[in-house]
Parts: sequence; structure tokens; C-alpha cells
Amino acid sequence: MASIPPKPENPLHLHTTKLTLGCPILDSFLGGGIPCGSITELVGESSAGKTQLCLQLLLSSLLPPSLGGLSSPSLYIYSEPPFPLRRLLRLSLPSLPPRPLDHIFVRPAHSADDLLSLLSHLPDSLPVRLIIIDSIAALFRSEFDNTPRDLKSRSSLFFKIATKLKDRARKLGAAVVVTNHVVDVVEAECGGARCLWSSGRRVVPALGLAWSHCVNTRVFLTRSEGMVRSSNGEECEVRTRRMHVVFSPCSPERSCEFAIVGHGVLGVG
Amino acid sequence: MEISCLPISASHRAKLLSAGYTTLSSLSSVSPPQLSRDLNVALQEAVDILKVSSESCRVEVQDGAVEFCKGAQTAWDMLSEEQALRHISTGSGDLDSILGGGIHCKEVTEIGGVPGIGKTQLGIQLAINVQIPYDFGGLGGKAIYIDTEGSFMAERAYQIAEASILDTFDNFGCQLKEIPEKLKAESFLANIFYFRICSYTEQIALINYLDQFLVEHKDVKIVIIDSVTFHFRQDFDDLALRTRVLGGMSQKLMNLAKKFSLSVVLMNQVTTKFTEGSFHLTLALGDSWSHSCTNRVILYWNGNDRYAYLDKSPYLRPASVHFSVTGKGIRDATSQCKRVRMM
Repeated sequence: MASIPPKPENPLHLHTTKLTLGCPILDSFLGGGIPCGSITELVGESSAGKTQLCLQLLLSSLLPPSLGGLSSPSLYIYSEPPFPLRRLLRLSLPSLPPRPLDHIFVRPAHSADDLLSLLSHLPDSLPVRLIIIDSIAALFRSEFDNTPRDLKSRSSLFFKIATKLKDRARKLGAAVVVTNHVVDVVEAECGGARCLWSSGRRVVPALGLAWSHCVNTRVFLTRSEGMVRSSNGEECEVRTRRMHVVFSPCSPERSCEFAIVGHGVLGVG
Repeated sequence: MEISCLPISASHRAKLLSAGYTTLSSLSSVSPPQLSRDLNVALQEAVDILKVSSESCRVEVQDGAVEFCKGAQTAWDMLSEEQALRHISTGSGDLDSILGGGIHCKEVTEIGGVPGIGKTQLGIQLAINVQIPYDFGGLGGKAIYIDTEGSFMAERAYQIAEASILDTFDNFGCQLKEIPEKLKAESFLANIFYFRICSYTEQIALINYLDQFLVEHKDVKIVIIDSVTFHFRQDFDDLALRTRVLGGMSQKLMNLAKKFSLSVVLMNQVTTKFTEGSFHLTLALGDSWSHSCTNRVILYWNGNDRYAYLDKSPYLRPASVHFSVTGKGIRDATSQCKRVRMM
């Protein structure tokens, strides 16, 4: 078998396209937007805003590149039915093409193996440039026990799924976004992961250290509630939502406040 | 004749290479107790290894004189050659000093750590710093960057290149009115041969191809694989096969390092291992992999601070140092002022 020697690339020609989040503050916070060609993970507890952000990305990927979009359809794989259609319908972005819903492909995944098979059988002709998996954690919730053998086979599945996703990301120049849940931290040591506070609980991303090695960028969404004394002396409850870059190849660790309003997710500058 | 041709077992060969014995001449002056300490083998095994190596050395030549075969050098020659080889700076003076000046050529260095600790950042920094011109204390070489995870971002490499060039000029107190083409960040980026690898078979094929590539590109002074682990954490139901494949790969990389006098830097991931009743963080790829590298550095968090620990080295003692990842790249943790590097 004649083998073609691998050819190196020149980094000068390797520009990373970024997908806008639909808000300039959030885009700049993430170093331009969600990078294409790698896996970005959104981690947070329930109702932290992960799905909301994903739905917003489904729309922003339809924008032309001049506005930070990818002019392409997207694929939304959900593991916790039903698909949040009503929430998607409530979102809007200026300059969207007509009939945006025609360009969003939606597919449920029932298990980790189902997801793997789905990814293996994606037709190359499907021109999606945004793949969302919401959520990855739900696919691994009940199938695996805590025995070393199960943990090993679970870990092997992580790397298989991540490899398929990165392969697609590279071939299609696609952005891949995966959402993940959190688990509480009981011991004093967090182990390999950095833990954060959300709603008064100390939490780390689910799926452990092995999965952490599979994603390129990790963004943690947290919520906190506190009482604030307003200017007229009254105490009122303030809910803050924050987005933290835990690690990223192109942006330092930092955090920024955001808000979920009727028509979308916005950064608070 | 090199160590690789000796009729000894594969594990002995790997131990010899990772302890720094790569030519027969290096074995000619070591005593059996010393060798057994260095290799961590029984005394009898060390005696056997030395016996085999001295037998392979003897070659009959005219005039009845016994002459050591080609490739043998005196220890003095080796020392001068080593001194002539510069180290690749990591960008952090503190980190360089626990490494004995920086990353060494002719050796394989493994760098392991949790996600986000800075492995890729360090890899990019080394790919840039290897290019610092000889006149400015660097190697003036090129880099091969093998990306298996997709974390290499060209924009970040550009940022690090710009900062490294500026800091180099500052350290030497020179102000160039016009920066020559080859000292611009664009040239530094163009001197990185970037390979994106998507499976373990591609990884092995590329490493096999490197010998030919390096013959055609003799100015490459560093090969970085980020990470060497990723494609090996799946699909290997037969662990013995994985160990053999990894062993063959590490052998090839060590040979490349020696043959072309370059440094090989391998990024590794961490995993949890259950020993003695509790979980510990340990480097991935198993126990047999730990013999595959000459040096090992572990990057870890201490609270919110990044630390590097020199875990394995043939001649430096273990040490820990605080470093940081900044907008400019890898730097010392506490330097607010620029450090003047004395040559």
C-alpha cells in the first residue's frame, strides 16, 4: 500500500473561525466567540442557562460571516426530551435568513452508544457547521456502575465520542458545543478539577477527570443569590448569573456576568 | 554500534536509554554496582549487560590491535558536545533553573498535568523559544508541533511569538530601528511544522515518517507531541498490544532525539489510580510508559497557583517551582520587571 507522507501545515494559514454568541460582550469575553474546530463545553447546574445559550447559538450560526455567523445549518442532539421548541421560538436575532427553523436539524440520542453510532453515520454531505449535544451527562447517568471496569469502559467511550466530534469539527470547520451537568463536591480536595460555587453549593463538572481531557474549552455557568440593600434602604434579592472561563486555548481564566432576558442571553458589562 | 543493536532484552534496552546510556562507549567505563543503581536492576543483570556490551565492542583490526568500533567517544568528547548544546528556555527563568537551564536536546521530556494547567501553552512557548536566534542565546532552530487534541490556536502562538521576540530584544538591551523579516512573529509561526493527527494509526505513521522528514529538515530542534496520550485512551482492549505499541513509539522518539540532536517533548494527561486504599492522580499510559522518557515534569495546581515539579531527571534533583501563564506566554510567577539573562 503506497502511503502518502503527511504534509505539515503552516500556522500562518490556520485561522480559527469564531461563532458569535449574539452578544458583543460575551463574544469578547470568549476571545471572539465559540471557536470552530474544537469542543467547547458549557457546564452548570440545572437552569444555569446552558440550553438557552445553545438555542441562541443555533440561530447565530445562520448569520453571515460578516456578522460572526457561519451561514450554515446546525445539528442539535438532545438527550433529555422534549426538544425545547417553544423556547427556541421565543428567541430572535436581527438579520436572520427567512425560515430559520428549516436550517436546524434536531435528533434525540438515547444512550452513549446511540450517540456514537449517530456520529459515525452522519452523512458527509450534511453541511452543518455547528453541532450541539445537550447534554452529554444525561447519556452516562444510569448505564455505568462505579466499578473500575465500568469506569474504564465509560472513559473509553468518552474518548471515542470526543474523537468523532473533533474529527467532524476539523473536517467541516464546525464548532462543537457540549453541555454538562455538575455534581457536588463532598471531600475537602476537589481532585483534578477546579470547583466553583453555584447556588451556595461547591460543585465540579460531572463525568470526571477523563472527560475533562476530552474538551478543549470549558465554560462554567454559575448562579448565586444574595440580599442587597438598595438605595432606599430595602433589602432585595439579587440573582447573579456568571460565566467563567475555566480553561481555554485562546483566552485567560476570567468571569463575566450575564443575564437571560426574554429574547436571549446577554452579557452585562 | 549503538545500544539498540545489543542482544539484550527490550526492557533492559529501554532502561539503558532512559537512564542516558545510549552508546557502547558510555557503558565502557561504568562499574556493575553503578549500573545496577542507575537502571534499578539486580547486580547480576548489570554484570550480564556489561559483559554483552564489552563483547560487542571488540573488533579485530590489522596489526592485531583491538579497536573499539566507530561511534565510540571518550567521555570528554561527550561532555564538550553536551556543553555546546544549548537548552530551550521555557520562558520562565525559575522553571528553566530547575530544569538545568531549560529543555535539553538529545533527550525526551514528558510534561504531564490536569486539563487547563498549561501543557499546550508550554508546548507553544517551546515551539517559539527554540527559534530564538543563536546570537541571542537560543538555538535558532525550527519546531515540529504534532497536535492530537486540537488545542493549538495560531492566534495564541502569534501572541506568544510577539512577546518572546520583544522580551529577547529587551533582555539584550537592543533597540532595532527596523526588525528584520526573520525576527518577525510571522516568520516564527512559519517555522513551526504543524501536524494535526486524528487517530493513533496516523500518530504512529507520522512518527515513523519523522526520520525522513528530519533528514530533509535538519534545522528542526524540537518535536512536540500534544498530547501523546489522547488517541491511546480508547480502542485498546488488549492492553499488552497498547504497551507494545507505546514502547515502539517511545523507542523511535528516543532514537530521533539522539540521532538529530533535538529535544522531544511529550505532553501527557493524568488519570486516577486506585492504590493503597485511595485514589491518586497519576500520569496516564501506565507504569511501563514511565520508562519511556529521560525527564519528567509534572504541572499541578497549588490553590490558584501553577507549579511545576521535576519528577525525573538523570542528573538533577527533584524540585518544585511556581510559574504563571500570562498573555505573553509562560513566565515567572513574580517577575514584574524583566529579567536580564546573562549568557
